[in-house]
Amino acid sequence: MKIVIAGAGEVGTHLAKLLSNENQDIIIIDKDREKLAELDADYNLMTECGSPTSFFAQKDASVGSADLFIAVTPFESTNLVACSIAKSLGAKCTVARVSHYGFLDPDNRHTMERMGVDRLIYPEYLAAKEIVTALEHSWVRNWFELHEGRIILVGVKLRDNAPLAGMQLKDFASMGHFHVSAIRRNNETIIPRGNDAMLAGDILYITTTREHVDELVRLCGKVQRKIKRVLIMGGSKIAIRLVDLARDRFRFTIIDNNRETCNRLCEKCPDADIIFGDARDPEVLLDAGIDDSDAFITLSPSSESNILTTLTAKEYGIAKSVAEVEDIQFIPQAESLGIGTVINKKLLAGSSIFQLLLDADVSTSKCLALTDAEVAELEVKPNAKITRGPVRDLRLDSNMTLAALIRDDQGMLVTGNTTFRTGDRVMIFCLAGSLHKAEKLFN
Amino acid sequence: MSRSINFRMIIRIIGSLLIIEGLFMFLPVITCFLYRESDALPFAGCALLAIAGGFALTRVHEKRRSLAKRDGYLLTAAVWLTFCIGGMMPFIVCHPQLDISSAFFEAASAFTTTGASVLPAPALTYSHGMLLWQALLQWLGGMGIIVFTLAIVPAFNTTGGLQMFNAEVTGVTHDKLLPRISHTAMALWGVYVALTGIVAVLYWLGPMSLFDSVCHALGTVSTGGFSNRAGGIGEFNSDYVMAVCTIFMLLGGTCFALIFRAARLQWRAIAADRTFRIFIIVVVLFTACFALFAASDGKVGSWREVVLYPAFMVVSTITSTGYTIPQFVVYEPFILALMVLMMFSGGCAGSTSGGVKIDRLIYLSKYLGNEVKHCVMPNAVLPVRINGRVVNPDLVKKVVSFLAIFAIATVMGGVALSMMGFPFVDSFFSSLSCICNTGIGSSIIGYGDDFTTLPTAAKWVLSLLMVIGRLEVFTIMVLFTRVFWRR
Repeated sequence: MKIVIAGAGEVGTHLAKLLSNENQDIIIIDKDREKLAELDADYNLMTECGSPTSFFAQKDASVGSADLFIAVTPFESTNLVACSIAKSLGAKCTVARVSHYGFLDPDNRHTMERMGVDRLIYPEYLAAKEIVTALEHSWVRNWFELHEGRIILVGVKLRDNAPLAGMQLKDFASMGHFHVSAIRRNNETIIPRGNDAMLAGDILYITTTREHVDELVRLCGKVQRKIKRVLIMGGSKIAIRLVDLARDRFRFTIIDNNRETCNRLCEKCPDADIIFGDARDPEVLLDAGIDDSDAFITLSPSSESNILTTLTAKEYGIAKSVAEVEDIQFIPQAESLGIGTVINKKLLAGSSIFQLLLDADVSTSKCLALTDAEVAELEVKPNAKITRGPVRDLRLDSNMTLAALIRDDQGMLVTGNTTFRTGDRVMIFCLAGSLHKAEKLFN
Repeated sequence: MSRSINFRMIIRIIGSLLIIEGLFMFLPVITCFLYRESDALPFAGCALLAIAGGFALTRVHEKRRSLAKRDGYLLTAAVWLTFCIGGMMPFIVCHPQLDISSAFFEAASAFTTTGASVLPAPALTYSHGMLLWQALLQWLGGMGIIVFTLAIVPAFNTTGGLQMFNAEVTGVTHDKLLPRISHTAMALWGVYVALTGIVAVLYWLGPMSLFDSVCHALGTVSTGGFSNRAGGIGEFNSDYVMAVCTIFMLLGGTCFALIFRAARLQWRAIAADRTFRIFIIVVVLFTACFALFAASDGKVGSWREVVLYPAFMVVSTITSTGYTIPQFVVYEPFILALMVLMMFSGGCAGSTSGGVKIDRLIYLSKYLGNEVKHCVMPNAVLPVRINGRVVNPDLVKKVVSFLAIFAIATVMGGVALSMMGFPFVDSFFSSLSCICNTGIGSSIIGYGDDFTTLPTAAKWVLSLLMVIGRLEVFTIMVLFTRVFWRR
């Protein structure tokens, strides 16, 4: 598939690397020649120097024959214009990253279409949704639902007190209700085999069905706590979206160290308490009522502040912590430091665009991107390789595992004896760069 | 993640390349069978040995599948070494039965498209398989065996493949034609194969025998310059053949990316390409010089001696093909000096020609011009502009240092040869001829002997120079630095 990405910023670069590893034809347009030179030298993609909103640059990048045009420069007006031009040149599908909620409004859908923008990506909104999920399932790090919750994938960190710690995978699997899809250990994601053991400190990605979630909570040595009071540091766009999205479920308090922002927050989030102060100061945290809060969310622009402040806040007995970490290279560290859920706009935008890509390729697929792995739902096509025999005889690549499937609206886990049929929807977990291999199995 | 060199992966890739080389060896085997020659069996033996060796190497399992820059350099250098070793086997076991150093020289000379030969003449006594193998080696080396592999093996369509591509393809910067490296490689090889096919047909219409036309086509487009005839391309004594050869050598010395664009009718790209224009201007100017000298020599017989022969010689030299024709006899000192200049210059970057590439000389001349201007106007901002775009000063620095290292390597090679008791002029001329992959022997210029009289040690020195020149200095030179091997 030919994909043109406008804007070699952080999202664009991240996407380009991700998609190029998935064997897509990538052309990236940006004005910054040096940034492009770096990308050009190190990655399997092509670069085009020029303004994303220039007809010349877009023609040189042969946008006209592109299957997907993604505009992810920091400026939404640039993105929209770039998409408009791309569409007029003949790009099949255009995606623009926006930073205002108004564009997403269904009433404006028509205007967007007329402008030639097919899809919109609003990372702040994605982040807010992710945080709500994290708050609702406070005992996990990642929560991923498939097919209206018939299949659930959770990412959970194992503590010493967990009954699961030290157990071998094959013993766990013999219980029949759970499938350990991946283990994140020492900053590396591994697809485990039966002889691997689960150790304290591992982050496990476990697939299960809805009925057995409660059992899993117990096995992991966790308690599902009801979150009510939420303290937010940093009145960013994500915070506003979050409050807007979940004000009926949670009680929010926002701390920000900018007077102007505070005033604006008062207008935008009338239901939330706004406090002016530096949340890095424990005194301010106490004043804001960290003692009574159930969850603490850090959304300031600085990843370092977010990580460190979260660690401070944890000392006050917070049930759930969420930190926005925009520097991707910090994420493994943040995870190992015990931050409940890490939010990264780039990864979210990336996985959401990835999903678009899968939508175009395979009928309907959902996708979740972790730091170095992807989870996708793929449909089994007639005569696909995967239907040839039971899973144990398929000799799958060691970089992927089939976790669960949905057949006749029923969720079930995949075992060695499972044989797939046409029309099954399979949840697959694969390490970065091997999703395209998996797709081949299904088509 | 550790950044140490991924030896296992490198070994495995070398293995698969060796298999590819082994498969190519079956072409001479078939030829030998067709001509009922006794070399078929030894050739088949070499092929099987290469394939077996390749399979043995591919048994190595890598722990991780990533190639960094360093791996790319090492792999490329190692691949070329292994390929030369694989390619020399037939020379040892088949008819000429050369010793190892001669065989290695011969293989390296073919593979780097130098075209210098140590085979005892006359060439006609060799089997057709042998001659085809020589032509085939230079053809594979011309566009680059790694580029070939990238084009056909999808597994290399990764960042690692990109590093290898950059280490092998000639030129200052590496233009990607298409987003994926394997597609770029395929496009380049497509152009290469197409050109070779066309010229083979044109030769055959010449008329040449099918075998002659194939061998010469392989030598022309790759700008290698091996001929299966003792008298080279001049033996056919046909204006038509010479003209075709001139045109296709010129195309071989043109940037293949540009030819690809031309084939796609993107004329704007060609019109904007200054390098190509300068290349053509240089060729025309030098031809005019040659022609003037030939005319002033007083022996002007026909238009051929004024136009065709000089043009042939100029193109053959500047594209580093090194075909010579006995018809051209004017080797005045000035003509020789021009030839040395042309050998040094080479064709366009991204072509199969050797030398330092005319692109780099353009960089250099602009840079030097700016430095002179700076003396007069110290505060002027004088960037190096190529094709209307300002070039990053780091790139200019790299080009200038490339030229310096290239010159030093040439001189060192000359010094090493003279140490072995080689005549002074021969030493330096041979050294230049080999590092520029031209392969014109000093016998041509009327001084010394051909390469056949080289002492053993000199063959190794020249082989090394050829590989250094073909892989454009840095790929080999980094291997000799301590930094490269440090963990």
